[in-house]
Amino acid sequence: MPLSRISKKCLAASLVLFFANAGRGAADDELFREGAAAYRASDYAKAAKAYCECASRQPASGTLQNLGIAQWQCGAVGPAVLAWEQSLWLKPFERPARDNLRFARKSAQLDAPDLAWYEVVSSWFPSGWWAWIAGLSSGLAISMAMLPGILRLRKSGWHQAVAALALMVFLLSVPAQLGALTRSRIGFVLQKDTPLRLTPTAEAQTVVRLPAGKAARYERERGNYVLIRTTPDGVRGWLTREQFGLICSKPCNQ
Amino acid sequence: MNGNPILRWPLLALLLSALSLPALRAQSRPSSPDPLMSLMLSQPKIEIATQVVAVASFDPPLVRPGQQSIYRVTFNALEESVEWPEEIASSPKLEMLPGAHGQVFHMNIGRLEPQTTFNSRVRASRPGQYTVPLFMVHVYGQEVAVPPAQLEVVETPSSSAPAAAELSLEFAETNPFVGQAVNLRVVFPAAEGAPVQGLMQVQLNGDGFIVDQSSQRQRFERISHSGSALPAYIYETSLTPIQAGNIAVFAQGFAAGLRSFGPLSMSPAGLPESSLGPPQYSLLESPTVVLQARPLPRDGELPGFTGAIGSLVLGPVTLATNVLRVGDLVKLSVKIANNGSGNLARLVAPPPPHVPGWQLFAENTEAAGGLAIFEYTLVPLAPNARATPAIPFSYFDPKRSQYVDLTIPGVPVTFQPGAAADLSALMQPGSADEAEKEPVLSGLAAGSGWTSSSLTPVQRRVWFPLAQLSPAAAVLALWLWDRRRRYLEQHPEILLRRRARRALRREWRAARRAASAGDAPGFAAAAVSAMRVACAPHYPAEPRALVGGDVLQLLGLPDNSQPSNGSSQIVRRFFAVTDAARFATVSADAAQLLPLQPELDRLLQQLEEKLCP
Repeated sequence: MPLSRISKKCLAASLVLFFANAGRGAADDELFREGAAAYRASDYAKAAKAYCECASRQPASGTLQNLGIAQWQCGAVGPAVLAWEQSLWLKPFERPARDNLRFARKSAQLDAPDLAWYEVVSSWFPSGWWAWIAGLSSGLAISMAMLPGILRLRKSGWHQAVAALALMVFLLSVPAQLGALTRSRIGFVLQKDTPLRLTPTAEAQTVVRLPAGKAARYERERGNYVLIRTTPDGVRGWLTREQFGLICSKPCNQ
Repeated sequence: MNGNPILRWPLLALLLSALSLPALRAQSRPSSPDPLMSLMLSQPKIEIATQVVAVASFDPPLVRPGQQSIYRVTFNALEESVEWPEEIASSPKLEMLPGAHGQVFHMNIGRLEPQTTFNSRVRASRPGQYTVPLFMVHVYGQEVAVPPAQLEVVETPSSSAPAAAELSLEFAETNPFVGQAVNLRVVFPAAEGAPVQGLMQVQLNGDGFIVDQSSQRQRFERISHSGSALPAYIYETSLTPIQAGNIAVFAQGFAAGLRSFGPLSMSPAGLPESSLGPPQYSLLESPTVVLQARPLPRDGELPGFTGAIGSLVLGPVTLATNVLRVGDLVKLSVKIANNGSGNLARLVAPPPPHVPGWQLFAENTEAAGGLAIFEYTLVPLAPNARATPAIPFSYFDPKRSQYVDLTIPGVPVTFQPGAAADLSALMQPGSADEAEKEPVLSGLAAGSGWTSSSLTPVQRRVWFPLAQLSPAAAVLALWLWDRRRRYLEQHPEILLRRRARRALRREWRAARRAASAGDAPGFAAAAVSAMRVACAPHYPAEPRALVGGDVLQLLGLPDNSQPSNGSSQIVRRFFAVTDAARFATVSADAAQLLPLQPELDRLLQQLEEKLCP
């Protein structure tokens, strides 16, 4: 039977994919344990390397949190702040990452990024959740408004109530989605005493020197330089790519 | 002005004089002097020499091979203005290391004259005559010549050769812990038979330590030196290492040499008694001493350790009053004494603990010498406590190399009856007090937590707008379908015609297939069926109920029309053959219909056109 042959092939392909993923997950777990062991042995550089590799394979909130701790112990303030921000980006309910950011900002005398109200709202849930909330609420609102007529059901009060509620949720989720979009352009200075240049050239005049972990908003890029505006003080200038890490960039990509 | 011109000028002069009077009065009034300006003006001026002179010498000028001598260069200029070279050439080459450098002012007829000295530590391994030739140094932006100086190195210098004046640096301990205050003294013994000299601007040079300026003392004392008792100047202070590892320290100071006039005699205390001239300053330094600072052990650290090191003793714990009311403020003071010789000026009070039923605030710490007083303000929040809360405190004992608990004990208290209500509910955990807790670095996460394939938000993906619109699009499509459905319900003939068209095409294809296969009965049956299904929606009627007359009527051909009409004849012939095949006992010859296929196609085309709206 051709159908049964196709089914067998599909089953085999699924099994291969499943075991490949399982193998990758096992390797990630091994790296995670290796990082924890190195950290407990006070080999922070090795721990940071292991967590870095683990996070670059598959970003995870706990891995990024541990990566930040290991990098902080290595004295890398900028990458540590970025890792904790990425951990919160993935899982806003990660209390230790939030506390670590408070600790780092107090220790290094850094300001938290200045967020607009819709960006604050967007930080309540992961960005993907807002997409689901918006999609489901809009679908529910339209369905509740139209399906009774299509299905030739009698329109009742609860249909309209659910439709109104879903519409309200949808309208609230729209600014949050905008906030997630604008928040994804926030990044952090990775190296200490980074010169913020007036023009995207190596010989450019230095506007100000930025501390590691300083928050800034990405505006555009030219060649190997990115134009940023620091937050909350709003100083504008150019940095090289490796001196700046976006919150939504691949971990340890710099 | 059109008045009298004779009066105009006297009036103008009067007006000007009236205006200038207040200004003259203000000028004549004695102004109150600015105290800061007065203080500045009262200071003697610093003499900036127009003619900078450098003096170079070796101290001592005659040494044995390997013995250290100090190459000393003195300028009558400010230290900041001298650009001292990093390397100094000599012939033959001497082993030369940078030593002390400093600046001192001495008074000269109402003016302060700066004197800057640069020392270099010099050693020669072989006997010989060593010369540092003349070289130029920039002072005040101008070149100043440093005169040549000679060092003689001989195997056996004569006993009458002058010995170098040198300081000695003595530490009470050379292996302290980081943070432990170490007492030290700088000793400057008098030369044999010479009067004792004092030191000015004594300082310790090196990295990785801080010097407690508040604990410095200086005195003259007789000390035992090379087997004989000599008067000496002694400067005492304490030093605290702030980093682990080897710490190199040396002392320097300006010897205020005394120029005596007349006979010199020594007092029983070793002090000179003579008529003396103005002092002459020469920068002296001690050999370098290396301390090995050990880090504090991490194991065994006790609660309340704030960096205190020494041998501390807890003194009396005093409470302002033992009879309290809920909500009252009460002062608690604790005396801490040092059993050792260290200073407690840098002692930090332990942070107040969070205790249910109490609110504690650290006030100030007063320290003087070997005694410190910690002060706390306590607020009882509930009337059920029997004593004030204990405050954890500990110190590190360097002699025993271990932490020692010195917890401040609670003081018994009683509460006045009928006092205020229990306020401890105001201090529940989770309140603002906890939110303001000092942030600390968390431990490692046990698991990898929530994962994601990428950190890029879905909002920035290309497909995101489509995905967001898809539910609305689906519902819109459903609505359009429903609208169409309702329309068709109101106009059923549209569906009938559409179905009839589909059936007509199906039968038409069947007729063509039968014709091409030479199946004449099948061709005839399919053709008749096609004509019936094409005509049925127009009546409306069941297709099988229609006869040839119905088809002719639809085509506008009366049943009694002339047989010469092609269409009418074709319809009749097809129906006749199929009727005969169904109802007659003798079947008709259907083969004669096969050549009529083109006419049939035209007929069916006409019928199809009638089905189109």
